[in-house]
Amino acid sequence: MIRLNHLPTLRINPGAPRSFAYGRRRLQGVEGDTVATALFANGVRVFGRSLKYHRPRGLYSLDGESSNTLVNVNGVPNVCAETTPLAEGMRVSSQNAFPTPDLDLLGFMDALSWAMPAGFYYRVLHKPARLWPLAVPVIRKMAGVGTLPPDFQAPGRRDEIYPAADLCVIGAGVAGMSAALAAAEAGLRVVVFESRPWPGGAFEYRPGAARDGVPYFQKTAELIAAVQASPHIRLFLNAPVIGVYSNGLVTAFQRGRPPHPFDERYIEVRAASLVVTTGCIERPLLFDHNERPGVMQAGCAHRLARTWGILPGHTAVFSVGHDLGLEVAADLFDLGVEIAAVADLRQDGMDPALVDALSQRRIPLLRGWSVTKAHGRNRVTKATLAGANGRFRKTLDCDLLVASAGLTPVTGPLTLAGARLAFDEHTGFFLPDSLPPRVHTAGRLTGRQNWHAVAASGRLAGLYAARDNGIDQAAAIDELVHELGARPGPARGTQFVIAPGSGKKAFICFDEDATVKNVDQAMDKGFDVPELIKRFASVGTGPGQGGIPGHNLPLYVHQSGASPDAHPRPTTVRVPLVPTFLATYAGTRLDMSKRTPLHALQEADGGRMERLGVWHRARRFSEDGRSREEILAVRTAVGMLDASTLGKFRIFGPDAVKVLDRVYVGDMTRVPRTRAKYSAMCNEDGCLTDDGVIVRTSDNDYYFTTSTGRAGVTVEWIRYHTRFDDWDFGIVNLTDAYGVINLAGPEARAVLQRVTDADVSNEAFPYMGYREFAVDEIPVRAMRLGFVGELSFELHVPASWMVHIWSLLMKAGKDFGIRPFGLEAQNTLRLEKCHVIIGSESEQRTTLHDVGLGFLWHRDKPWAKTVGDVALRQTEHQPGRLKLVGFRMADPSAAPPKDGSAIVDRRIRGYVCASRYSFTLKEPVGLALVEEPLSAKGSSLDIYENGCGGQLARAEVSETPFYDPEGRRLRV
Amino acid sequence: MAFTITCPICGPRSGYEFRYGGEDKGPRPDPADMTPESWCDYAHMTDSRPGVQKEWWYHRAGCGIWFTIYRDTTTNLEVSPDSPETVA
Ligand SMILES: [Zn+2]
Repeated sequence: MIRLNHLPTLRINPGAPRSFAYGRRRLQGVEGDTVATALFANGVRVFGRSLKYHRPRGLYSLDGESSNTLVNVNGVPNVCAETTPLAEGMRVSSQNAFPTPDLDLLGFMDALSWAMPAGFYYRVLHKPARLWPLAVPVIRKMAGVGTLPPDFQAPGRRDEIYPAADLCVIGAGVAGMSAALAAAEAGLRVVVFESRPWPGGAFEYRPGAARDGVPYFQKTAELIAAVQASPHIRLFLNAPVIGVYSNGLVTAFQRGRPPHPFDERYIEVRAASLVVTTGCIERPLLFDHNERPGVMQAGCAHRLARTWGILPGHTAVFSVGHDLGLEVAADLFDLGVEIAAVADLRQDGMDPALVDALSQRRIPLLRGWSVTKAHGRNRVTKATLAGANGRFRKTLDCDLLVASAGLTPVTGPLTLAGARLAFDEHTGFFLPDSLPPRVHTAGRLTGRQNWHAVAASGRLAGLYAARDNGIDQAAAIDELVHELGARPGPARGTQFVIAPGSGKKAFICFDEDATVKNVDQAMDKGFDVPELIKRFASVGTGPGQGGIPGHNLPLYVHQSGASPDAHPRPTTVRVPLVPTFLATYAGTRLDMSKRTPLHALQEADGGRMERLGVWHRARRFSEDGRSREEILAVRTAVGMLDASTLGKFRIFGPDAVKVLDRVYVGDMTRVPRTRAKYSAMCNEDGCLTDDGVIVRTSDNDYYFTTSTGRAGVTVEWIRYHTRFDDWDFGIVNLTDAYGVINLAGPEARAVLQRVTDADVSNEAFPYMGYREFAVDEIPVRAMRLGFVGELSFELHVPASWMVHIWSLLMKAGKDFGIRPFGLEAQNTLRLEKCHVIIGSESEQRTTLHDVGLGFLWHRDKPWAKTVGDVALRQTEHQPGRLKLVGFRMADPSAAPPKDGSAIVDRRIRGYVCASRYSFTLKEPVGLALVEEPLSAKGSSLDIYENGCGGQLARAEVSETPFYDPEGRRLRV
Repeated sequence: MAFTITCPICGPRSGYEFRYGGEDKGPRPDPADMTPESWCDYAHMTDSRPGVQKEWWYHRAGCGIWFTIYRDTTTNLEVSPDSPETVA
């Protein structure tokens, strides 16, 4: 198709072709096209088929108000062709039509529409219930739009930004831009959201003019230039607003531009003030076959020509109820469209200048007339018009039927911001009767249609926003209020909804294929409130988010006399205001994880890294799932574990010890300078939450460790439980500042002695001792602990020196057969010693007593008000609790049961916490939480393992620990 | 959590930055005369009455302090401590 390429309002570059695929066809659009305009320019009129009746549907609006133009783009279903920019090489295909939209084999559904009344799914298929399962697959296949493959991956990159602003303006039309400029001049930082790809709104493309004779588009262009030059205005184009929330929060997303149409950006802005200048959309006129391809809104026809250079048709009939329609008719005539007639729903009240313009062009204007029926199947061929009294009728040939009853303000953001809407008789709009604090509105949304009045009302809203932000604007506001009073006020609007004598095929909602007759049926059933009718007849619940039926439904229901309300009442608007990809909400996939300082070394040593919470850790260092070599190295020689993920904290100050006594169950007043104290933390229920080691590094200065999983919440926990105490202490999270090496095994001392001058003999540095010394001049904090059950040194090393110290020890240990060991080996080693791991041997309900750590609890420090103390007292001898026991298998050659297996005896009586094959004992050992009566030594436990096929494994409660019960190996 | 919370140190910030710490129930009671039932009440039970309540928040993604605000649970908006509604 040849484009009009001389218009000053064009937003395309006719010289830059863009080729794309449409089904099997290869088509060409131009730079600046949307998918919809490119298809239309190539003669495509039927874009898809409707949801229920498979009626042909075409281009009706251009801002995505209906599902008519949903297509598949590059494999993504349900993409709105109207708002998606065309990119070179795009693959576009139609939906819900077979084989093509023009020739759809399910088109016969339309003839069966009588069989699908309102509430069809609820009423017809409800009884008998046994029919429902038969009907579901058929309905699923025939209804619905778009197909989502199960392995679908949303294309595009998505990010999110959170700009700061004093004022957020929604809608960059003349009013919005005026508001932004006035506010920016007063000193506010302004963010503006505009859903179209350029600012200017309803005046941006119009050649008409107010009395000053300067065309709207020219005056608007000056405003756009001023906005773009302002350093205080940040304008987001292609950015529809999704929602408005409390405390001034506005959410939006920004669509991608060619060549990356699916790159989207989620935006959240919280501003002190909000200005809503979203303008109007057109309110459809209802008549029979009002959605035939070729029927479109006045703005759609006008913008096709003025913005994209496409003539919307050869011969047009207009049926409108507002001056905008008359303006469009005159302008399209000038661009070469033959206008057969303009029917205006109004008898009077038209702009005399526009009436003159029509008569100069010899365009017949039929006052009080309306279209009643569109003819033609896949596109309009004729339109029947009727006078108000129904007596006069005429049928005219046309291939374009421009129809709209009136305008509808876009009030969604305002109502989400908390404005209450009331029906305004003069404009026929639902308008806010009160605005929440710091929320303002202006422009065409309020019914003003005059350029100067729209601009002045916008500036006034901008000044109000400045006033909200504490900038005195009294004089300027007075002046502007005065000016606005002298400008034309809101224009009178029609409340006309439906043409006389039509209804059976008059579609009130395109998305859900709902006709006026369906609404009548709902009212016959007794529904009298639009909010309920909307649901029963499925009106406005589709992807257009109520854009098409939004205000027609309440007006129609009110006019029917069925409603008990004195005035029409709008239906509720909810977020998202526009359909939004979930992927856009999700934003960038920020999987945050941490690596220890030794990560690379561990990998180089063959470590199989695993994600555990936020950390990557080495599970094992060989193919062997049981880590035999690693275990034997620790038991017979020496091994090293990277334990850097332990939580590490410094707490200091005169009240530090009080804090420790509050959160730890033990007595912290007696931590000697040279000893490490093992203790635990409980919650208010006496349930175990954490264990670790506390050392005193100097007076009123302590260093303690927590389990890996608690590192992130320990500061919060401690501050919470001391929040009523005005205590003087500081706490520092050193988890990432220090790394930890656990050097363990009978040869551990020999290895350590090779790298330090400090005396690390058993006499100088005994079990549970704490020392600070240098290793190759690096200050190291060392503790003699025994988690794995051998002589071991836990070395806390500044993180940046971890690689150095680890390598030094590796080298020093070479002669002793040193090797790194991982979490799997550690798990078996500590299991042989029955040392608990929080989360393995405990769950939410497990108390300190249950796991046998009651001895850590110091019961005589009531002054400390220890967290959990009351519950520990109350549960100490509580019957009916699960207790931690050790077990061996009745058959030593049996495999160890899986962690978490149930212990059964007609009912579940406990579960296996952890069980591994012990290379030391040459049989499986394990720990289990079992009901108290089962916890006596020698009790039989029957273990049900997933997939055992009812074949229970037998185990027996045994003495613990399994390995080195006297703990001699720790003390050497 | 679209609403903002006013941290005494950082000022009004997005609710996402905070962790909820429950209704304000005052300092922990004297443990001496606690029965399991009364302790459970203190540890777990809340009033959950609609209206303005005093509650604890932790500025997790900020300065790291615990503080109280007044919030109207029916509007999910913070209420000034000077407002007449905060007088329980
Ligand atoms: Zn803070």
